[in-house]
Amino acid sequence: MATISETAIRPVVRKPIDWWRWAGRFFLTFLLLFTVLPMAWMVLTSVKSQFAAMQYPPQWWPTEPTLNNYFKLLDPRNRIGQEFLRYFWNSFYVSLLTTILGVVVAVPAAYAFSRFRFPGRNFLFFAVLVRNMFPAVVFLMPLFLLMRWMGLVNTHGSLILTYLTFGLPLSIWLLKGFYDNIPIQLEQAARIDGATRFQAFLFIVMPLSTPGIIATSIFSFIGAWNEYVYAYTFLSRDHQMTLPVGIQRFFTEFATDWPGLMAATFMMSVPVVVLFLVLQKYFVRALTEGAVKH
Amino acid sequence: MSIATGRAAGPSTSQAASRASGILGRVIAHRTDYLYVLPALIVMLVVIAFPIYYTIELSFFRTPPNLQMRDKIWTGLDNYVTVLRSPVFHEVTINTIIWTVASTLVAFLLGLGAALSLHREFVGRGVMRALLLIPYVVSAVAASYVWKWLYHSDFGVIGAIAVQLGLTSEPINFLDNRQTVLASLIVVNIWKEFSFAMVMLMAGLQTVPEQLLRAAQVDGASAWNRFWHVTFPHLRGVSMVTVLLLMVANFNSFIIPFVMTGGGPADASHIWITHIYQLAFGRQQWGVASAYAVILFIVMMTLGYFYVKALTRGDENRAGG
Amino acid sequence: MAEVVLKDVMKNYGSLYAVNNVSFTVEHGEFVALVGPSGCGKTTTLNLVAGLIPMSGGDISIGNRIVNDLDPKDRDIAMVFQNYALYPNKSVFKNLAFPLQMRKLPKAEIEAKVMQAAKILDITHLLERRPRELSGGQQQRVALGRALVRDPAVFLMDEPLSNLDAKLRVAMRSEIKRFHHNLNATVIYVTHDQLEAVTMADKMAVMHGGVLQQYDSPANVFANPVNTFVASFVGSPAMSLIPLDVVGKGTDVALKSPEEGWELPLSAQNARKATASSQGTVVLGARHSTLKLHKSPVAGSVPGKVYTVEPTGDVTFAQVFVSGAVVNVSLEPTAPIAPDEEVFVEFDQQRLHLFDGQTTNALKAA
Repeated sequence: MATISETAIRPVVRKPIDWWRWAGRFFLTFLLLFTVLPMAWMVLTSVKSQFAAMQYPPQWWPTEPTLNNYFKLLDPRNRIGQEFLRYFWNSFYVSLLTTILGVVVAVPAAYAFSRFRFPGRNFLFFAVLVRNMFPAVVFLMPLFLLMRWMGLVNTHGSLILTYLTFGLPLSIWLLKGFYDNIPIQLEQAARIDGATRFQAFLFIVMPLSTPGIIATSIFSFIGAWNEYVYAYTFLSRDHQMTLPVGIQRFFTEFATDWPGLMAATFMMSVPVVVLFLVLQKYFVRALTEGAVKH
Repeated sequence: MSIATGRAAGPSTSQAASRASGILGRVIAHRTDYLYVLPALIVMLVVIAFPIYYTIELSFFRTPPNLQMRDKIWTGLDNYVTVLRSPVFHEVTINTIIWTVASTLVAFLLGLGAALSLHREFVGRGVMRALLLIPYVVSAVAASYVWKWLYHSDFGVIGAIAVQLGLTSEPINFLDNRQTVLASLIVVNIWKEFSFAMVMLMAGLQTVPEQLLRAAQVDGASAWNRFWHVTFPHLRGVSMVTVLLLMVANFNSFIIPFVMTGGGPADASHIWITHIYQLAFGRQQWGVASAYAVILFIVMMTLGYFYVKALTRGDENRAGG
Repeated sequence: MAEVVLKDVMKNYGSLYAVNNVSFTVEHGEFVALVGPSGCGKTTTLNLVAGLIPMSGGDISIGNRIVNDLDPKDRDIAMVFQNYALYPNKSVFKNLAFPLQMRKLPKAEIEAKVMQAAKILDITHLLERRPRELSGGQQQRVALGRALVRDPAVFLMDEPLSNLDAKLRVAMRSEIKRFHHNLNATVIYVTHDQLEAVTMADKMAVMHGGVLQQYDSPANVFANPVNTFVASFVGSPAMSLIPLDVVGKGTDVALKSPEEGWELPLSAQNARKATASSQGTVVLGARHSTLKLHKSPVAGSVPGKVYTVEPTGDVTFAQVFVSGAVVNVSLEPTAPIAPDEEVFVEFDQQRLHLFDGQTTNALKAA
């Protein structure tokens, strides 16, 4: 009552400026420019000729935009195109196999960590997690020796095996979170309805954990696609290179071909960015799962 | 028909007593459970346990550059002494600390600001989040090339802008200057990873109960006080995990300094990881590099302890709720 | 249809005995309620019968067949879960068809059986929906339907009504009872609600701390609880229990309040029971309906003080402090009584219960 009569008497007070909201807007604008401008410059450079890119002051907007750099990369008739397409295929093949194997290995492990109470469960689980803590480079030397011993040096197998272990801890952790949220009664019901333990897992649990499997797959794929250090160390033959290593070796020979390099960088980023944009929901969920209590 | 009651608890059938007990018994009883974990275990053992053991072993030997293991010579702690006495060690350590702390701190603060600004619903919020996340998704190699081009000493767009704005008379050589190189690399690193902090904190913000914020508003708390007394305490857990993950990632980063400068000029942008790589694969000093790696292990294990602690706390909370 | 026999069934986790030496027999076509407070081992017992968790000892047989080591799928049982456990990614039809598919029945037969079960439970119009689009009561029916389609030997139900609101629960209660009656099915039904057990079951098995306390018809459990736990668990409001000392000898025995000093003389029959107590202490038990309140002392009454008066409409309940214990008494709604009033509680010697003060077991005349 009091407030009603007060507002009736008092003239309408102008709403004060919400400084926090404006600060937020400015901040976001700044961040957006910081994020987008480098990418925009990459794209702008990639449609310039080499001559146009090497000017001072720079051409802020390409005066004669050209897609030549892209044609060159994607043309299987010249050497550059052949190599780029080969690297692209290698990256795709290694990343895909890593992803598939990762799911095959991580799914049963995550399921066991979520459902079973076997001795040593906690120890093993944290052993798996702690893997995240160790830098890739520290494993390089011994793994290099190990791969040599197993005869895997200069094969994609060495990369797939290594990437598998990068992805596994996170995959297991993420999938365990998904399985924790599937009520155990569903499996019990299935087993009473006549399913074996494995059938209950296959017909009931697996379909329900599809979002988790998608999320972990994106992570494995992006991680493998972007990996550099091992690919750089384990593979020495040109035709085996994956993209991150390949474009480097390839373009240091023509270190000054910046537009070509930007075009290649752009092409290299397309698959992961598309994958991310399409499956953003799963990606973000996977990223934050486990760290944020629900 | 009623049944005797009040019996003392305890096994009374011979069958129950005869079942195996103790840890071995439990292991046997759960033997099929291990089958599920076995593939993961094998992979992890081969690719993790073996390398860790191997690195420790190598750190006590001098091994020939061609890595012929039968020619290695026991040198005790010599490699460790070499590491700690090396003048580069101090510079690289300081670089590593600056790199890790500055990247983590700024990335976290930018991420926090972004998360708070994006928390309010507005048109284009989803698009903006996606755009900000792209650098996190693309490969560090791509980021390194793009920024190397932006920083280019003759045709770099950043230098050109600086001249246009009258900040300097001629383009700055960001990467070939001991004073600016590390800071320039840190900017790239922050560009790439701040949105990770943003996403984590956005998820954390969703756990802040709306009712509490309303209650605080009714109690007359200002926007700042609402943030400080309600929002921020709720973000503490997520913040800890985020900062830890960023620190671990930064401590372990390799690609940006390696691809952009290779540690140069004159070691000014070397951090531990790139230095270890250079010692091992550049100079074939396997023993010294391994000693470095072992010291790094110990540092990481300490961080790892807090990481696991922070994670398990989340796990328990989830199990409880 | 079959009988279910549990013999010395054990389940322990290390030194924790979740189910301790439980034996009982469910006759063919009987509805048995496993009842007790949460953590008493009733659900564990049901899961052992289902085969969802391995036994630590004992034998379970279903229809003259020992099923100890059989998989749940081979035990010829159906189960209804507390949260219904409907497969969220399948339609109602597919939920009902799943048990039949797993048994590799021909498609036409599956469809016929599903339609039949849907008709019985009146869920034909829901067959194409997903579980999350159903109300709680509808989900409950689907869960029942999934158990029903297979015509199993035994139905197991784990607190199937506890997620429903109070009104729906009463309605479903009678439906399940009707369902049992029509099918003449053997049912084992777990509940923490003694009222559900009493109203639905042919027999109830009262469990506490993993131990079966009493297994009998609800009427017998109500009339002759074997110990103070059963006495206080079954019946609402609960039986009032007052710890007292035994004084006197032979047939001249009385119960004395250790706190207030009054004595309550016992009948000859009760005196023989009281003198059989192991330590000279007993717990006196009485149901609210057997007690009377007086404003002045009468023979066979003891003093007390009114704590609260709760009118419920046709009956008014009074809670009275007697020798430090709370005693429930039912009264006429018009009874003129107020809190803090000094009253006298009269016991009916024919209908009071005496339990050993030490072992808490019901005392028998020596």
